[in-house]
Amino acid sequence: MLQSIVSYGLAVGAVYALIGITYNVMYSASRVFSFTAGMLGMLGGVLGALFIQKMGINAVLGFVMVLACGAVLGIVTELLTVRPVLKSIEQHLYVLSTLAFALMIQQVTAIEWGTEAQPFPVLLPIGEGWLDQKFWLPLLACAVTIGGLEFLYRYTLIGRAFLAIAEDNYAARALGLPETWLRIASFALAGMIGTLAGFTGAQMLLAFFGNQSILNFYGFVPVALGGMGSNRGAVIGGLALGLFQQAANFLVGGIFAAVAVFAVFIVVLLLRPEGIAGASTARRV
Amino acid sequence: MRIRRRQVLSGSAAGAVSLASGLAAPAIAANEPIKIGYLPALTGPSSSTGVGINRGVQLAVEDINNAGGVNGRKLELIVRDTQSDPTKAVNAVSELTQRQKVSMIFGPVNSGEALAATPLIARDKVPMLHPCWVDELIDVKKYPMAFRQAPTNSQIGGGANHYVVDVLKLKKVAVISDTTGYGTASVNTYVPMLKAKGADVVYTNHIDAANPDLKPEMLRMQSAGAQVIMPWSVNAGFLSRILNTRGAMNWDVPVVGQTTLGSGQTKALLEKPEYWNKVYSNNFRKCCYVDGKLPPLTAEYVERLKKAKIEFADTLLWWVALGWDGVRLMADVFKNGGTKAEEIVGYMNKVKDWPGVYGTVTWTPQQHNGFPDSEVVMCEVNSLKDGAFNLAPGYAS
Amino acid sequence: MTEITTPIRAGGASTGWLGRLEGKLSWILLGLAGLALPLLDDSYMGTIATRAYIYWVLSAGLNLVVGYAGQIAIGWVSMLTLGAYTTAALAAGRVGPEWPVYLALLAGGGVGAVFGVVVGLPALRLRTFYFAMTTLGFATIATQVALAWKDVTGGGVGTPGPVFPWPFDPGWGFYYFCFLLAAVATWITANIGSSRYGRALVAIRDAEVAAEASGIAKPRLLVLIFLLAGALGGIAGGLFASLQSYITPDAFTFEMSVLFFIGILIGGRGSILGPALGTLILTVLPEIAAPLVQWSTFLYAALLLLIVLVIPGGIADLLDYRNRRPLEQHREIVPRPDLLPRVLGDQNARTLIALKGIRLHFGGVKAIDGLDLEIHGGEVHGLIGPNGSGKTTTLNVVSGYYRPREGSLRVDGSDLPFERPHVRAQWRIARTFQTPRVVGAASVLENVMIGGTVHGHGTFAESMLSLPRHRLDERVLREAAMLALATVGLESLASVRADRLQHSELRFVEIARALVLRPACLMLDEPAAGLSAEEIRRLGGLIKAISRAGTAVLLVEHHADLIFDICDRVTVLNLGKVLAAGTPEEIRSHREVVSAYLGA
Repeated sequence: MLQSIVSYGLAVGAVYALIGITYNVMYSASRVFSFTAGMLGMLGGVLGALFIQKMGINAVLGFVMVLACGAVLGIVTELLTVRPVLKSIEQHLYVLSTLAFALMIQQVTAIEWGTEAQPFPVLLPIGEGWLDQKFWLPLLACAVTIGGLEFLYRYTLIGRAFLAIAEDNYAARALGLPETWLRIASFALAGMIGTLAGFTGAQMLLAFFGNQSILNFYGFVPVALGGMGSNRGAVIGGLALGLFQQAANFLVGGIFAAVAVFAVFIVVLLLRPEGIAGASTARRV
Repeated sequence: MRIRRRQVLSGSAAGAVSLASGLAAPAIAANEPIKIGYLPALTGPSSSTGVGINRGVQLAVEDINNAGGVNGRKLELIVRDTQSDPTKAVNAVSELTQRQKVSMIFGPVNSGEALAATPLIARDKVPMLHPCWVDELIDVKKYPMAFRQAPTNSQIGGGANHYVVDVLKLKKVAVISDTTGYGTASVNTYVPMLKAKGADVVYTNHIDAANPDLKPEMLRMQSAGAQVIMPWSVNAGFLSRILNTRGAMNWDVPVVGQTTLGSGQTKALLEKPEYWNKVYSNNFRKCCYVDGKLPPLTAEYVERLKKAKIEFADTLLWWVALGWDGVRLMADVFKNGGTKAEEIVGYMNKVKDWPGVYGTVTWTPQQHNGFPDSEVVMCEVNSLKDGAFNLAPGYAS
Repeated sequence: MTEITTPIRAGGASTGWLGRLEGKLSWILLGLAGLALPLLDDSYMGTIATRAYIYWVLSAGLNLVVGYAGQIAIGWVSMLTLGAYTTAALAAGRVGPEWPVYLALLAGGGVGAVFGVVVGLPALRLRTFYFAMTTLGFATIATQVALAWKDVTGGGVGTPGPVFPWPFDPGWGFYYFCFLLAAVATWITANIGSSRYGRALVAIRDAEVAAEASGIAKPRLLVLIFLLAGALGGIAGGLFASLQSYITPDAFTFEMSVLFFIGILIGGRGSILGPALGTLILTVLPEIAAPLVQWSTFLYAALLLLIVLVIPGGIADLLDYRNRRPLEQHREIVPRPDLLPRVLGDQNARTLIALKGIRLHFGGVKAIDGLDLEIHGGEVHGLIGPNGSGKTTTLNVVSGYYRPREGSLRVDGSDLPFERPHVRAQWRIARTFQTPRVVGAASVLENVMIGGTVHGHGTFAESMLSLPRHRLDERVLREAAMLALATVGLESLASVRADRLQHSELRFVEIARALVLRPACLMLDEPAAGLSAEEIRRLGGLIKAISRAGTAVLLVEHHADLIFDICDRVTVLNLGKVLAAGTPEEIRSHREVVSAYLGA
């Protein structure tokens, strides 16, 4: 029983962590929290099932196509919903534009894909229990993503440029960094990470349009708790949330488990608005 | 097939005309079409039931109108898609009763909508026929013009409980549901009923349908000694997780419960086909195979459906039959009783043993729930063929 | 204020833009249409209209939260849920004896008010997106509790809605009841919107720092707004339960919450008429666009995206024809310092602001390192120094944005607490900002009136009901603001939206806003930046005149000419320390200053 809670908790938590990283990557490049993070996660599952299960495309090719769709959606998000409102970022119009875009995509999915959960194919049937794809695949994806991001940020030029933008927009622009292109690249990257989360988690969460709102919220919790922009915080927060949620499901049952997660989220945020990792408030004047 | 709201189907051009003149006062002339208000949920979440019923409804209207209508008057169906949204249902009711002045209303199917629509329809004194199962919808004092052709939730639960306790002779029962209104209400109703029948409810819980992992729940049921699991949910994802977990645990326990257990969506989500074994869902005697055969009236009906090329891959026979019966029943009422509210109610109060494909209907002035207990049965879900199932083992045929 | 005898007015009586009942005609037409609708005798239209009124009762309150205060409360449907269940449960006697229905409705409003504050309070601590998420969290919790708390809510099966007895019984009676409440909601929110509270909300939204400097305490104000919005949401919930006749948890969907929210934004932020029309359109649209019903959420979202990207001002912007008239091209700012005595009143008591031993570090950097400074009433005190020498930081210490590590800050001998920027206005300390902080969506006059917020006497409730004290406040403040605008030379632009002004004009708007406070001390942060030589000369004259009326002026500036022209004393900062202090003549000849800073 403990094994079940831990394995599912970690696997679900890895999906949440990846969605959290998706939020972070977009935020770092633009100071924008985008409601499209959950949408990407939802589409990762739906598109994967569509390509591989319904259209019978080879799994590897299907996977690549899903990531490509994610990248394209990321770029569209940037062009359509972020760039036009970036100049007046203090008005927080991005909350509305990204929400609108995410709702539109979700509605199209609901109509074209259907409102019932649909199966996602087993791609790597190597075993049962811990060896079941649905447990290790999200964890692997999460590890690969965090490793890849660390490598990107530390050892590559473009990664350092990302960091420079995240650290100080104006200074980076003054240094002659192509801020716009880096932002587009970040959104494309976020698109890929988001769909990766959905793709690897879909065996567990199914290809279901309703996953969007679930992932939007549960993917945001690790960001809020781990401190925004911190990918390590997101991973720790995500895994902790997954475990907490499974434990709460087990201990107090369905209705109160959802209430417990939401309540803990709100209380923790009120006590530590900057997240548990914490950061000081920005200069305002 | 995509059906739009307010799609007017009448077999003639009369529908379009009456829509255009919706504001005009209704003239009750001998050849005016008889208006039936119809409130299905054709789009939105949990619309597959509505889509299935709709196929039966549309076909029945077509058949009746092609045969000359009712006493020379065509049936005109005024459809409003409620999208399972109670607020849309309330808007639709006032359009149907006040503006369209329909003679009768069929639907809605989903509980939230039906609960909201019924008092309003009653207030406007329009007779209604319910395909919905929620017990609270029928109350001859509060809603004297509301009748039900379908079983109540209590009958559905009673049927499942009867099968578990009396047929399978199992005493230790686990009852679970998702966290929707339907799920929680079902568990709250059925557990006391089970206890009254002498069963021992060893485990009961409401589970978040989005929870991917049901193993802890299942383990707890197992350790509580459950001999049978009774899940109440219309969520195919949730039900398939129960069956998949049961299969992965190699736990040889029967699952007895909601009709969605036997739906194509649930089947599609199973990890292995054999996980569908020992699963018994609610069904209705007249829509079940006995020794590979359907009852004669039903068999005849299925032939009719095949001729009309009604799609069965994604629906169930009883859904289609329910819609078909509803329209045929209303047509009979119009034909033999009349189209005024009091004529309709007067006739319906005396309907006895009306032979439906879905069920046999009997109403009295005191009892507007018309479906007989004896026709609520369980079926073997893995026997699905042409939208129908074999009667579960143990029933006397 | 009796000394104000000559009324100074901009053209036309109405100079406000925000919250004014834009185009009274529109409201009269809407009202007449609402009153006359029953004549059509079409209950279907009655139901739809009743629904629109109910949604508007909620949205009118939410409009103050979203449209005015700019708080992204996406999950406000929770108020509808709470109000609906409270009213239904009390009226049905699920909790104690059966309550009279009208009393139960009031209780619904009360519960809504309490939870409005509970749901809203995180806004004080959380960033926008975080707050949006917590409101969604509350909406989920409300639905889950409704499912679980079977005794009171009926659980999944739900509970019958209340039926209002005569005279507002179901049908047209209930229709008129909802119409009446919608009208009341419109009236009180419009009153708030056009009061100093409404202006303060918009200032918090678009220029929070300037709002604080004007003495606006965000927490108190937001609590009041959440109380009101929650109460209206709760009452709307009670009405909703009655219209629906039966409520189940699945009636309170996220889509509905989005509908309220989008209706307001389509209408336009900071408007009442716009969101009212927006709510009406979104309620009626799905009934008309029948074939598109399954696409309705998609269309709402597309509409929202379109509004955000193309017309961020929404319907209100489209209706605001006055602000599309072209402004005069070559405008000149001609201040009238002669009006200053009337603006500032008696300033016999000359204030003395004294900073002593102020030290302030940012991390390892010593921003201010032992600063002593005295600012005297009736004088202009110039503060100069190279970039990073601590000029603006000093100003921010006085304004209460930074807490120094040590040192003291005294006004006329009594301690002025560090931090707490919003109490500065009560000490009559006003300031302007390096980049002007004005509310672009409000008129120039309203911007200036924001500066006089602390002079109002009427309570929130008095403003809500437009009682005499509120009206007096408004009249006095309006006159004072017009006078201040005339003083800086901008009265002809009073009714223009501030975001249409030129940069130089905004600097003078900020000065006018500061003057309305009748400041004992005025701090100007580089007011000459971006001004033409002629404008700088006029500015200099104005600043000098302000000081001569008795105000202590602290002037942070780079324009050496301006400093030496008008200052009575000058302090030169370098690396957070005083490099030199004295009269302009002394500074001009100070060797170190000349070499380090003046560069000559």
